[in-house]
Amino acid sequence: MRDHTKLYQYILIYIIIIFFVVISIYPVLRVLTISLRQGDNLLNESLEIIPKDSTFENYTKLFTEKPFLIWARNSMLITLVVTIIGVVLASTAGYAFSRYKFPGRKMGLLSLLVTQMFPPTMLLLPLFIMISKLNLVNSFLGLVIMYSASALPFCIWLMKGYYDTIPFSLEESAMIDGATKMFTFWKIILPLAAPALVITALFTFMTAWNEYIVAAQVLWYEDMFTLPLGLKSFQGNMTTEWGMYAASALLITVPVVILFISLSKWLVSGLTLGSVKG
Amino acid sequence: MRFSKLSLLYLIFIIPIFLFSETIRIHLWHQMEPQKEPSLKTLISEFERENPNIEIIALHKGTEELRTGYQAAAAFTGGGPELVYGPMDQVGPFEVMKLKKSDKSIIMPLEDLFDEDFFARFSDLALVKYKGHIYQIADRLGNHLSLVYNKKLFAEVGLDSPPQTIEEMIEFGKKLTIDKDGDGKIDQYGLVWNYSEPFWFIPFFGGFGGEVFDRNNKPNLNTEAAIKAFQLMDDLKNKYKIIPQECDYDIADNKFNQGRAAMIINGDWSWGKYLKSPKVDFGLTRIPFVNETGLWSSPYVSATGYSINSTVSGTKLDATKKLLKFLLSEHAQRTFSKEHKSIPSLKSLQSDPSFMNDPVLQESSKQIEVGTLMPIIPEMRAIWDAMRPALQNVLGGQMTPIEAAEYQQKLADEKINSMYEGSESSPEKNTLMNTIFIVLGIALGLFLTYVFIYKFILILLKNPKSQETRNSRFAVILAAPAAILMFGMVVYPFFYNIVISFSNMNMTNVNSWQIVGFTQYIKVFSEQIFYSVFFKTLIWTVMNVFFHVSIGVMLAVLLNRKLPGKTIFRVLLILPWAVPQYITALTWRGMFMSDTGAINLMLSKIGMESVNWLSEPTTAFIACIITNIWLGFPFMMMIALGGLQSIPYELYEAAEIDGASSWKKFLNVTVPLLKPVMVPAITLGIVWTFNNLNVMWLVTNGGQPADKTHILVSYVYRAAFNLYRYGYAAAFSMIIFVVLVIFSITFMNKSQVAEKT
Repeated sequence: MRDHTKLYQYILIYIIIIFFVVISIYPVLRVLTISLRQGDNLLNESLEIIPKDSTFENYTKLFTEKPFLIWARNSMLITLVVTIIGVVLASTAGYAFSRYKFPGRKMGLLSLLVTQMFPPTMLLLPLFIMISKLNLVNSFLGLVIMYSASALPFCIWLMKGYYDTIPFSLEESAMIDGATKMFTFWKIILPLAAPALVITALFTFMTAWNEYIVAAQVLWYEDMFTLPLGLKSFQGNMTTEWGMYAASALLITVPVVILFISLSKWLVSGLTLGSVKG
Repeated sequence: MRFSKLSLLYLIFIIPIFLFSETIRIHLWHQMEPQKEPSLKTLISEFERENPNIEIIALHKGTEELRTGYQAAAAFTGGGPELVYGPMDQVGPFEVMKLKKSDKSIIMPLEDLFDEDFFARFSDLALVKYKGHIYQIADRLGNHLSLVYNKKLFAEVGLDSPPQTIEEMIEFGKKLTIDKDGDGKIDQYGLVWNYSEPFWFIPFFGGFGGEVFDRNNKPNLNTEAAIKAFQLMDDLKNKYKIIPQECDYDIADNKFNQGRAAMIINGDWSWGKYLKSPKVDFGLTRIPFVNETGLWSSPYVSATGYSINSTVSGTKLDATKKLLKFLLSEHAQRTFSKEHKSIPSLKSLQSDPSFMNDPVLQESSKQIEVGTLMPIIPEMRAIWDAMRPALQNVLGGQMTPIEAAEYQQKLADEKINSMYEGSESSPEKNTLMNTIFIVLGIALGLFLTYVFIYKFILILLKNPKSQETRNSRFAVILAAPAAILMFGMVVYPFFYNIVISFSNMNMTNVNSWQIVGFTQYIKVFSEQIFYSVFFKTLIWTVMNVFFHVSIGVMLAVLLNRKLPGKTIFRVLLILPWAVPQYITALTWRGMFMSDTGAINLMLSKIGMESVNWLSEPTTAFIACIITNIWLGFPFMMMIALGGLQSIPYELYEAAEIDGASSWKKFLNVTVPLLKPVMVPAITLGIVWTFNNLNVMWLVTNGGQPADKTHILVSYVYRAAFNLYRYGYAAAFSMIIFVVLVIFSITFMNKSQVAEKT
């Protein structure tokens, strides 16, 4: 992209961005502080980020005393399956909703949105009843279905919105060249929608990665726990092991950041007016 | 020869084990503190070694989750763990819930399972009786508050004994409240405790002679005792100033543990930590004596123990009994008592030298002597919910002690009534209602089938050769998997909720509820509070979404150019979204704390007055909004970053040739082309924010101060689920749902995405 940003504009942009970066990371640094502190203190009166008596004890304890790696494996497994399901189903369904007229289309789009409007207080109990009636207690399958279903509506809408910005003329010219519908979708449209696919993947990943309320009801074995459930287990009624809590919260974040970094190269423009003309 | 001997041995010993060793699995749900879990695990593996055919699966849950989780599993699905361990006040709510098609409670009476000799070994308090049955056997007693003091800090001001009376407590407290460096800020407090929670108020209430229930189990909160105890709270905070201006559990705990507070009122679960703390020279004593009444302050004393699921029978029951006996044995109790300073429930251990010679346990039993037994009737939940806002109103200066006493009585009466509401409706009316609803249900079902066939199936089947039909089929095939998954997941909960919202379901009739029509809906609309909470929810939603979107889009636009360091900035900016909400929301709560929080420290650095963020309803609400804006803007930024990629840069160039300014380019190129991607995100952002239960709850610690910081969902949670008003909760949820549907469809129409869909 040719850029006409002037120097003073650059300075201004940097000031604004750095301001928000500081705001973003400060509370996260507090979490880091808690994780490095000895003992179990959530609060401290000092503002220093790296406490004087810093220790990695909380981190080592996670790996030696708690089945942290087993939880991580469970979470990974569930989340990957959910992400794949989410991306595949959202990209196909979104395409149908964007490009085709079919019976039930308007109704379908609307009801997708409506499913997101159920307050959590309405779903919790019946969802659990349903999952146990289907004999899915203590299985990952129930969670996979649940998580995919809860991430899908947003992803479908997002994919549809993005497809809408891709000109129809692309498909028309492909059709004239004799390409099948499936081919056009797969080879021409999908690559152009890469940025939306990235967001879909990230969003589905996050939905499954951080959920614990349903998981807490459904999983009864400690070695079936997902990471957020493991995290919750450090919390007592009154006393919480804040050190380990903070340490694992940060470790939970690492895969998300890695995923974001590795996906962000696809988060660049795939679309130019040129591709329409060509 | 040798070989055959070996195989003979094998045949004799191994095979029978295989034959008879069908493993029995026993699930145990407990709420022991994380520090106690290792002891439990050791005991369990010991038991499993002795009983190779029994496998124990222990699962930790928080007290609230344990109770609701067990109820959901046992009462609603007839499952759940065999053994459940928790505080004795869960017995009431468990007893009242019945199994499906039966009048048995979800936990079983234990008196017929064991012989009298077994029961005789426990102290009376350990056998938790309710309505004439023993439902729980405790392995430890206590769970009570007591006064812990730091001998070192006492010695520094020349005190050598703890306070005995309230007057002494105040006097000592004043001496021990010190501004060490003379900067006008107090560095050491005389006394701290989690003073906005009613559990910590009960000792004083009792000390002034108050009792929560009268003889007929009716709340008795508008009394002289309540007024005086409230007055004391008010004085400690606002007159003598020996307690901090804001204090929750973590602040109190932290201050005492760090040697920045001389006394703390805290429970037996916390003492182990203070004993180990290098800054604390541990001393324990009774919560002081009230001269005026001649009574000691009287904390609630309870027991913690095991109950058995009513559905357990046969060999499983035998195994469960075996496990129960083991966990209640001298050996097990000794382990816990030694390591965690809990008072054992076996009489034999209470006279054991190891117990008698432990000064902490001895002081602890002295406190128990003047304690009050914790009520186990389910109504107690309503009492807590009534006392909490009254207490917080006194501390915040919104009510006088007299008003607060009146207020808590009124609230308690209302809440208790609401718990049982609708249970006593007439059968004739109900059959009529039932019939009407079944007929309506069938009619609706038929109508939906009709629409489905005529509007969907038939259209797909007609003119199979036409291009239009083939396109439709292709699209339906693409969309069907997602649609089936979605609706499969949602249909049952949705209709379940509709049915329950027309019923009178509460804790007494989870499996025998009846349809009562619109009663619950009428109740919701007739309450004043619905409208004020609704208004707050609107402000909450609009403020949040506005800032999420504007900050998010702004950052995305700024980042969408060649910019050295862009990748790093992008990653750092999504951190608020990536780190689990649960801990960051609590970190923000810490940052808003009045005298230790980072925000007030910064405000004072730039010369502004510090604010008591969390104890004023308005500022607490603002604190929640700030926290949620922080949590939510990265998401919108990411969506916008993706959306910006669909805008061909030639369009900007064209605009530039026309001489458009940056702002013009943003308005005329960016905004319209970002819209298709942003509108769904914004719509869903509205929905999610509207229904965000977590953030508000975490930052304000469940609606503090005085239940004034609620949005609709958190209010339902507090006022309905907490008191098991399932029917009311379902109706309330339905109303939230309908409001949201209207709200977001209006938004969608206004933003004109409908034209394109």
